[in-house]
Amino acid sequence: MRTIAQEFSKGIFVENPVFRLLLGLCPVLAVSITAFNAFGMGIAATFVLLGSNIVVSAIKDFVPSRVRIPAFILIIATFVTIVDLTLNAFLPDLHEALGIFIPLIVVNCMIMGRAEAFARKNTIGRSIIDALGVGIGFTIALTVLGIVREILGAGTLFGFNIVGTAFEPMGLLASPPGAFIALGVLVALFNVMFKRLGIE
Amino acid sequence: MREGLRMAVTLLIIGGVCGGLLSAVNSYTEPIIEERQQREFLEALEGFFPEVEEAEEKEINDQKYFIAYDAAGNEIGVVAQARASGYGDEPIRYDLAVDMEGEIVGIRVVSHTETPGIGDFIAEEEWQEQQIVGLTFDDEIAVDVDVDAISGATVTLRGIVSSIREEVDTIGMEFLGLEVEVVEIDPSAVDDGTYTGVGTGFADDIEVEVTVSGGEITDIEIISHDDTPDYFDQAAAEMPGRIIEAQSHDVEMVSGATASAEGIVEAVADALN
Amino acid sequence: MDLLPIIFVAILANNIVLMQFLGICPYMGVTQRVETSLGMGMGVIFVMTLAAVISWLIFYGILEPLNLHYLRTISFILVISSLVQLVEIVLKKTNPTLFRALGIYLPLMTTNCAILGVAILNIDQGHNIIQTIVYAIAAAIGFTIAVVVMAGIRERMELVSMSSFLRGASVTLVTAGILSLAFMGFAGMVTL
Repeated sequence: MRTIAQEFSKGIFVENPVFRLLLGLCPVLAVSITAFNAFGMGIAATFVLLGSNIVVSAIKDFVPSRVRIPAFILIIATFVTIVDLTLNAFLPDLHEALGIFIPLIVVNCMIMGRAEAFARKNTIGRSIIDALGVGIGFTIALTVLGIVREILGAGTLFGFNIVGTAFEPMGLLASPPGAFIALGVLVALFNVMFKRLGIE
Repeated sequence: MREGLRMAVTLLIIGGVCGGLLSAVNSYTEPIIEERQQREFLEALEGFFPEVEEAEEKEINDQKYFIAYDAAGNEIGVVAQARASGYGDEPIRYDLAVDMEGEIVGIRVVSHTETPGIGDFIAEEEWQEQQIVGLTFDDEIAVDVDVDAISGATVTLRGIVSSIREEVDTIGMEFLGLEVEVVEIDPSAVDDGTYTGVGTGFADDIEVEVTVSGGEITDIEIISHDDTPDYFDQAAAEMPGRIIEAQSHDVEMVSGATASAEGIVEAVADALN
Repeated sequence: MDLLPIIFVAILANNIVLMQFLGICPYMGVTQRVETSLGMGMGVIFVMTLAAVISWLIFYGILEPLNLHYLRTISFILVISSLVQLVEIVLKKTNPTLFRALGIYLPLMTTNCAILGVAILNIDQGHNIIQTIVYAIAAAIGFTIAVVVMAGIRERMELVSMSSFLRGASVTLVTAGILSLAFMGFAGMVTL
C-alpha cells in the first residue's frame, strides 16, 4: 500500500496524465493557446475528477458491477454539466474560450479511468487524495504547455506582455500545428528529465 | 431476475438524483446567465444607440433583427445580427446598426476567420468608420462606387459589402418603410411626341426632354441640371446613348457619376409616364 | 449553407483531429497499423453518423421543446454509450463478419470525444437534419484519413533509429503537428 504522500504525488510526477500517460489530450491541445485558459480547463477537470471520484467511491458497494459504467457516466456527466452552468454564469469569458471542450470533459479518458481503476476500489479519503494528485498533475501539465505556447506564440503571459517589443511572436505556436509540436517536444523533455531522475 | 431489477433500480436512482441535482443547479444559474446575456446585449446596443432602453427581437429569413427603443418608447434604430461569407472557413459574423433614416451608424465584427494581415481589416475600427459608417439606404453600397477597393482582399471585401447592402435593404424595407424606387422605362406604349420629365440628381433636379417615335425613344436632351459639371458631363455624355440603345431602364450606370446617371434615368422614366 | 463546403471543410480544412483536436486518444492509440486504423475509421463513420442523427432528434424532439438544454451533455453521452452497446449486440447477431472487423473498436467509441464532439457541434452550429448527416459523415471521413495517414507514417517510423526519449508519443505528436500544418494549407480554399 502506498503512503498518502505517494498516492498524492504519483499523479503529478510518475503517472502524470498528460506527460506520462498521454490521457485526455484533446482539451490539452485545444485550450492551451493561453496560460489562463489552460489553467481554467485544468481546474474544471480537477473539479469533475474530484466530484466523480468521491461519489463513485461512496456508492461503490451499492452499484452492481454490470451497470457500473453507465452509472459512472451519469455521475461524471452531472458534474460536467454543473461546471458548464457555473462557468457560464460566473466566468463567461472562460466559458466562451473553452467552448465545446467543457462538455467534452465527460469523455476525458483520464476521469473515467480514475473512477474505474481507483475510486471504485478505494475509500473516499484515498479517492480524494488520488483525484487531487491526478487533477493537479493535469492542471500543471496544461498550464506549462499554455505558458510555453502563450509566451512563444503571442509574447504574453496571462495576458501581460512580458517579452517587450523586440520579440516577434511565432504565430505557429498559437495555431493547431503548434499545439502538437509543443506538446511533443515537452513530452520528450520530460522523458529526459525522468530518465535523469532515475524514474522509469 | 432479481439482479436485473436491482440494476435497473440502481441506475434509476442515480439518474433521478443526478437529474434533480442538475435541475437545482440550473434553476440557480439560469437567471444569472440570462441576465448577463441580456446586459451584454444591451451594452452592445448602447455602443450603437447610446439612448437605447429596450430592444425587441424579430426574425426574418432565419436571421435576427433587434429594434431599439429609447426611454420614451420611440423606435431609434435597428440592429441586424448578420453573417457574410468571406475567405475564411467560417462566415464573418457581424452586427450592423441602422438608424431610422436608413443610415448605417455602426458595424461590429463579432467573429471571423479571415486571413490575418489581409482580410482582417474588416474588424478594424478605422476601416469601419471611414468606409461603412455613414452610408445610407439610398447609397449604392458597392465596391469601387462608395467603398474603396482593397487589392489582395477582394473576396473578403466583396463578401462583406454585398452582405451589408442586403442587410440595409432588408432593414430599410422591413422596418423603416423605405422603398426602392422602381424606375421603369417602357416606350412601346407611348404615343409619338416630345415629353419632359424630372429626376433627382446629385445636387438637385435634372430635367430632360424625351422624343418618342414609333414606340421607341429617338432622342434624349438634357434641359437643366445643378450637379457638379465634371461629373455630370460624364453622365450626360453616356447615359442618353445607353438608354436609347437599350430602350429600357436596365442600363449600366456611369461609374464615378452614379447619382447623376441615376437621375437621368429617373427623369426619362418620369417623362414617359 | 451549401453541403459541398461543409463536406470540404469537415474533411480537410477543419479536419476534426488535426485542426479541432477531437479524438486524439484513439489517434494516438490505434494508429500503429494501417489495417487497424482503417477498421477504426469505418467504425467511427458508422457510429458517428448514427450518434449525430439520434442526438439531433433527441435535442430538437425532446430537450428543446421542454426547455431542458442543460441535460444536453448527459443525454448525448447516454445516447452514445447505449448506441455503442446496441450496435455491438445487433452486429454480433446479424452480421458476424462486420462484427469481427469492427467489434474490437466499438467499446473505444464511447470515450472517443470526436463522436460526442460532432454531436454537440451539430447543435452549436445550428445544422438541420440533412446538414447533420452530411457533416457527421464528412467529419468521420476526415477522421479516417487522419488516422490512416498517421498509421502509414508510423509503420515506417518503426524502422527508423531515434533517441529513446523521442520514440513513441513524442515523435507521434510532432508528426501530427507537421500533418496538421499540411492540412492548414486547405484553409481558405472554399468560402461558406
